[in-house]
Amino acid sequence: MVVLMRRRAPTTLVACLASITMFTAAGHTQTPPRRVIMIVAERFSFTPSEIAIDAGEIVDLHLKSDDTAHGFRIAGVTNVAVPKRGHPALVITVGPLAAGRYPFECSRVCGAGHNFMRGILVVRDKTQEPVR
Amino acid sequence: MKFESAITAGCVLCLAAGAGAQTPAPEAGYPSTGPISGYMELHFNDVEASDPVVDFHRFVLIFSHSFSPRIRFMGELEVEHAVVEGLEEKGELELEQAYLDFLVTRAFNIRAGMLLMPVGLINERHEPPVFQGVERPFVDTFIIPTTWFEVGAGVHGELGRGFRYRAYLTAPLNAFEFSADEGIRNGRQQGSEARARNPAVTGRAEFVGVTGLTIGASAWSGISGTQFPPLDVHVSVADADARYHRDRLELRGEFAQVFIGNAASLNQAIELQTGISPNVAESMRGFYGEASYRVWASGPARDAVAFVRYENFDTQYRMPAGFVPLKQFDRDAWIVGATYYPDPDVAVKIDYVWQRNQSAIVRSPNSFNIGLGWWF
Repeated sequence: MVVLMRRRAPTTLVACLASITMFTAAGHTQTPPRRVIMIVAERFSFTPSEIAIDAGEIVDLHLKSDDTAHGFRIAGVTNVAVPKRGHPALVITVGPLAAGRYPFECSRVCGAGHNFMRGILVVRDKTQEPVR
Repeated sequence: MKFESAITAGCVLCLAAGAGAQTPAPEAGYPSTGPISGYMELHFNDVEASDPVVDFHRFVLIFSHSFSPRIRFMGELEVEHAVVEGLEEKGELELEQAYLDFLVTRAFNIRAGMLLMPVGLINERHEPPVFQGVERPFVDTFIIPTTWFEVGAGVHGELGRGFRYRAYLTAPLNAFEFSADEGIRNGRQQGSEARARNPAVTGRAEFVGVTGLTIGASAWSGISGTQFPPLDVHVSVADADARYHRDRLELRGEFAQVFIGNAASLNQAIELQTGISPNVAESMRGFYGEASYRVWASGPARDAVAFVRYENFDTQYRMPAGFVPLKQFDRDAWIVGATYYPDPDVAVKIDYVWQRNQSAIVRSPNSFNIGLGWWF
């Protein structure tokens, strides 16, 4: 099961406030915050280009460009446009995913070395080995 | 009333479009570009002791196609200096890239076709908004002959923790076109019925594991002579470079050296053919350091960068026995300028170049330059 949401960082505050209000009204206790992973896109690399999460974990990926518009595609999971430098980071929520290796890549032609812009999302089975 | 309705409808359409843009389907395309990308740059160059010129220097279109997720095409077609006419020293129509990528694993992929040589900071990363200065650095012109492309095939991949590589076999240079002032630049065969008796090998190792930092080392080596007349000229190019940016500051540095074996024999062979010795050196060397600072950043789109760069480049660095270096080609330059970005993909550039050389007779001209470049 893959849950995917997309929003811009400035809306995060509004979303958080709304969530807090809803949880308070329902009498729930606050859930632990999701892990945030920052990924910077720049001709022609993602940094980091290797990220690891646990199977079943839900994480927020903050995608930011240091130059032109890029794309971020995890085949079969997500494909979003990363806005140009100076714009707030794009926040997408990824997970839970089954254990495995999920290559990601730039999906918008960004220059002569576009095809070098690739990385890997490693989803590890918690019962097998710990996440780095 | 109709006007108000039109405005209302327009607003609704805009809102709808905006709302749509906020939540696209995961596999949706992007409205900001089509199947064709590219970059362009035009320059005004006012060089001392010459008439100023305006030149539409580069018009480049990039095409891409995916046959499948694992087989991809990328092509880059360039018109230089706006006009291409037969039998005249005018512009050029160049096929700078046209290759197929066979994506196998993250660590091992195969590439074949017209390839950019993976040498230096600029050759593979040359879109106008990504480098400072109207013209590309001198070192990336006279020592590393940017844009350097040849037909070939090879492998590339990422090894993890930010380390990656590429290694290609390509057509070699043509040493009979080397010169004292432009080094190996005119020896590029550019995939045009290139002599390929001896393939050249080139590669680059790169670390990109820290945000904002790129450290790389490149090498190129090939026998660049000819069968008739029989002459083997072993040419090697070595490069080390780094680029780092944090907050508003960016620093760059590059060092490159060219080694030419059999340079004395090469000079004699060319003199036999043309009657003039080209005085090709056995070693050429260049380096530069650049600092740039984002002096103004206004919101998400606009900013301005000031920069200063020092370059030292000598195409007569070491001469073969019996040949005297031409000191006017032992040059250095200070370049000071600024770039205004009305958009991260649009660069309005201005700079001044102070150039010097070691000759007591021939003076290197200074120049004032303005440029406009963009990527889409």
